[in-house]
Amino acid sequence: MTAALETRDLSVRFGGLKAVDGISVTVEDGRVLGVIGPNGAGKSTFINLITGQIRPTRGKVLVAGRDLTGAKPWKIAAARVARTFQINKPFRGLSVRDNVAIGAMFGAPGGGSVAKARGVADEVLERLGLSGVAELGPTELSVAHAQRLEVAKALALRPRVLFLDEAMAGLRPAEMEPQLELIRELRREGLAIVVVEHVMRAIRSVCDTVLVMQEGRELLTGPPDEVLADERVITAYLGQRYAERQRAERAEAGGSGPAVADQVGPRPEGETRAPG
Amino acid sequence: MAATSARPGMPESESESAHPELGAPTTGPPKAAPAGRTTASQLAGWALVLGLLVICLLAPKLFIPSFLRTLSAVFMFATLAQAWNIIGGFTGYPSFGNVVFFGLGGYTIAVLMARSHWSFWPALVVAVVLGAAYAMLIGIPTLRLKGHYFAIATLGVAEGTREIVLNVPKVTGGGAGITVPAVGPSATTSYPGNTGFLYYFLALLVVAMLAVYAIARSRFGFALRAINQDEDAAAAAGINTTRMKIAAFMVSGAITAAAGSIYAFQQVSIYPDRLFSVDITVLMVIMAVIGGSGTVIGPLVGGVGLQFLSEYLRQNFTDYHTFIFGAIIIVAVVLLPEGAVRFASETVRQRRLPIMDNLRRYRL
Amino acid sequence: MTPFLQATVYGLLQGGLLALVAVGFSLVWGVMNVVNLAHGALAITGAYFSWQLHESLGLDPVLSLVVVLPVMFMVGYVIQRGLINLVVNAPIWMTLLLTFGLEALIVNGLLLAFTGDFRSTRTGYSTNTLALGGVRIPYARLIAFGLSLLLTVALVLFIRNTKMGLAIRATGMDRTAARLMGMNVRHVYAVTFGTATALAAAAGSMIGLVGTFTPVVAGGYTLQSFVIAVLGGLGNMWGALAGGLVLGLATAWGALYLSGTLVNAIAFGILVLVLIVRPSGLLGKPYYEARAEA
Repeated sequence: MTAALETRDLSVRFGGLKAVDGISVTVEDGRVLGVIGPNGAGKSTFINLITGQIRPTRGKVLVAGRDLTGAKPWKIAAARVARTFQINKPFRGLSVRDNVAIGAMFGAPGGGSVAKARGVADEVLERLGLSGVAELGPTELSVAHAQRLEVAKALALRPRVLFLDEAMAGLRPAEMEPQLELIRELRREGLAIVVVEHVMRAIRSVCDTVLVMQEGRELLTGPPDEVLADERVITAYLGQRYAERQRAERAEAGGSGPAVADQVGPRPEGETRAPG
Repeated sequence: MAATSARPGMPESESESAHPELGAPTTGPPKAAPAGRTTASQLAGWALVLGLLVICLLAPKLFIPSFLRTLSAVFMFATLAQAWNIIGGFTGYPSFGNVVFFGLGGYTIAVLMARSHWSFWPALVVAVVLGAAYAMLIGIPTLRLKGHYFAIATLGVAEGTREIVLNVPKVTGGGAGITVPAVGPSATTSYPGNTGFLYYFLALLVVAMLAVYAIARSRFGFALRAINQDEDAAAAAGINTTRMKIAAFMVSGAITAAAGSIYAFQQVSIYPDRLFSVDITVLMVIMAVIGGSGTVIGPLVGGVGLQFLSEYLRQNFTDYHTFIFGAIIIVAVVLLPEGAVRFASETVRQRRLPIMDNLRRYRL
Repeated sequence: MTPFLQATVYGLLQGGLLALVAVGFSLVWGVMNVVNLAHGALAITGAYFSWQLHESLGLDPVLSLVVVLPVMFMVGYVIQRGLINLVVNAPIWMTLLLTFGLEALIVNGLLLAFTGDFRSTRTGYSTNTLALGGVRIPYARLIAFGLSLLLTVALVLFIRNTKMGLAIRATGMDRTAARLMGMNVRHVYAVTFGTATALAAAAGSMIGLVGTFTPVVAGGYTLQSFVIAVLGGLGNMWGALAGGLVLGLATAWGALYLSGTLVNAIAFGILVLVLIVRPSGLLGKPYYEARAEA
């Protein structure tokens, strides 16, 4: 069986910088791949390479076996690959409903009329609990609702592959749970999902496999528990000093408690323009 | 300075970058309360349009010829503003070279009628097709640019095209201009006169208004607005942004070319410096923006208002009119950055004049 | 060969002068993302300023810069502080419209004050030329060229080495951060615009020295500034110098081989070509690659 999403040796250089260097992953239907790594590791660039925002300089992108390497974003969307953006990108002049309707209008093969798309949008909003704010402008939403809107916009494309770029950022722990439950539900429905996340609790609770990136390269891939306990990952994330201290603490406690802390990673607000 | 920053309820913009639109296309500010209340103001707007239409149809019986010419100019500029609105207002690509389609349309008519002895109507069709084709031709490279780069690239194309027209005198008559055979035995189409041109321009304005009205409600219009607000997100939502932008430019170019065609016929003699004047582009932009770019009614309001004003100034302050007009542009940009239509609807909504809000909105 | 050589020398000299016209335009664009359509009009204002000083006081155009530079700096400062700062955050066409309005105001003001007649600041050395192996160079051209280089270098030194220059650069890179560092951005912007205006006016004085001018040519200088800024890369002052020389040469050579006014099309041709092929300019860094992790 062909995987929903496969990348082979995917790479891009910006001048002398190898922002993403030889990443190969496979995501089957109904599986969740987590992508973690410190700031500037190339996680978002990796997504941008797959969804067409940036053209790779080497490697392949296969969606359900079809070669979509370097295709334009709308071609990727038409192949039912949807994404959210790390920095929310709502259409500010449109209502929440129309924000979602856009995806249904153009993303779905063949598209639909405005009225039909609004119908689809209403279904998606209903499902994500956003019906109450459908008429508002996206700038009037709470952080949690704004994050949900991004997911709703992606789901309106009726995707089979879904990329969530830090869909938990800025959420309170209580607000995360519904978002996580949604991801589990989508997985059960057979979506292949790629989650870029700094919230380790989210990674641990929804991912089947975790890819750790560092400086554009694959550091390690494996099941979440294994990966998050790995020395190299802890070092990559927290730096040498902290890693040593934690190792010492763990030795003291004599147990193998949670490795990488259950909080948001050490990340300054708005990781915007990283390398390149 | 400290006093303004500390103003309660007016938080400084969070991500205030020095180059907000280099990466993303320019977007209007958040337009509060989408949908909902719009139907009432829309209804009022269309009632106004209908009223004006009736007056216009009766115009030849009501007004003196010089006023009919003024009215023709008003319709023409409203049409041009509306055409600009499609690419500049809806799509967010501020073309500063839209006059190129105007000039192209005018010269197509003049050349076909004077040199090839075509009659007006088939020449008009050719002009419109050429306008759209030229928009596609220049749109393919320039619509990849954003912000100022797009604005000035289109300006450069317009100026460059004028120079070319100027330098092929065998076809275009060069700087000496070209004259459409309007009277006598060489006339291919009888000259329609003041009333005729009034109706031509009125009909074109109606077509432009209906086109924009239809676009605003269609998938196409949604795509354009999405591109305006976030091009990356629009592409990720499945919108073929390249094709949509080019299509918008083509519609804009076609309408503008039609206006140029009628104008050339009306003027009889045309010159490159007039038909490709940057001032015409700027008038389109200012009329659309002052009226309300990205709205259906705004460019009509801006076009009608400013063209009447301009005519009034020309007649009453002949020496100073451009000077005063410059001052008016400055004041209007500062006080009505969102356009008259949004200003009016905000005034109604808040029951006060939101002048200070406008002043605060974009200042440093 | 001699016509070609003559054209080359003329092109370079004119290019240096154009660079001085454009350097302020490029600075303003680079620092605050404002394309100032009134830039050419401000340059021409400088030309009239010098001309008037020469007419009524007999002041040499070069000497008159002592008055023109500070006065036009103040004019620019006030324009930015009182007007452009009001719309700096608006969509770009708003600033384009505002500065276009300003241009209309200035140009028509000049027309009312001085009429549309062509003027020229005639000095004692206006007609003297230097003969160099078959190439004739007017002294006025040499003076204008030298002064242009001098002022451009002075600007670079000012931006590189002074506290205010650092503030200007910092504000151009990240306004929010500059604000957090305690810089008065309104003042910094106004100084930037004032500097640009003063340099444009100085260039205007030189335009009057080497040739003729009328208010109507203002738009042409703005457009050339744009071409040069794009060629050289935004806010890049050495780039502006290079861009000016390239444009000057291209125009001079074009005039040699092309008929009529087709030479004007060259500037636009270069402009559109550069925008499409290399929108970051000849010396600039590519902008669009900066979107790595956006």
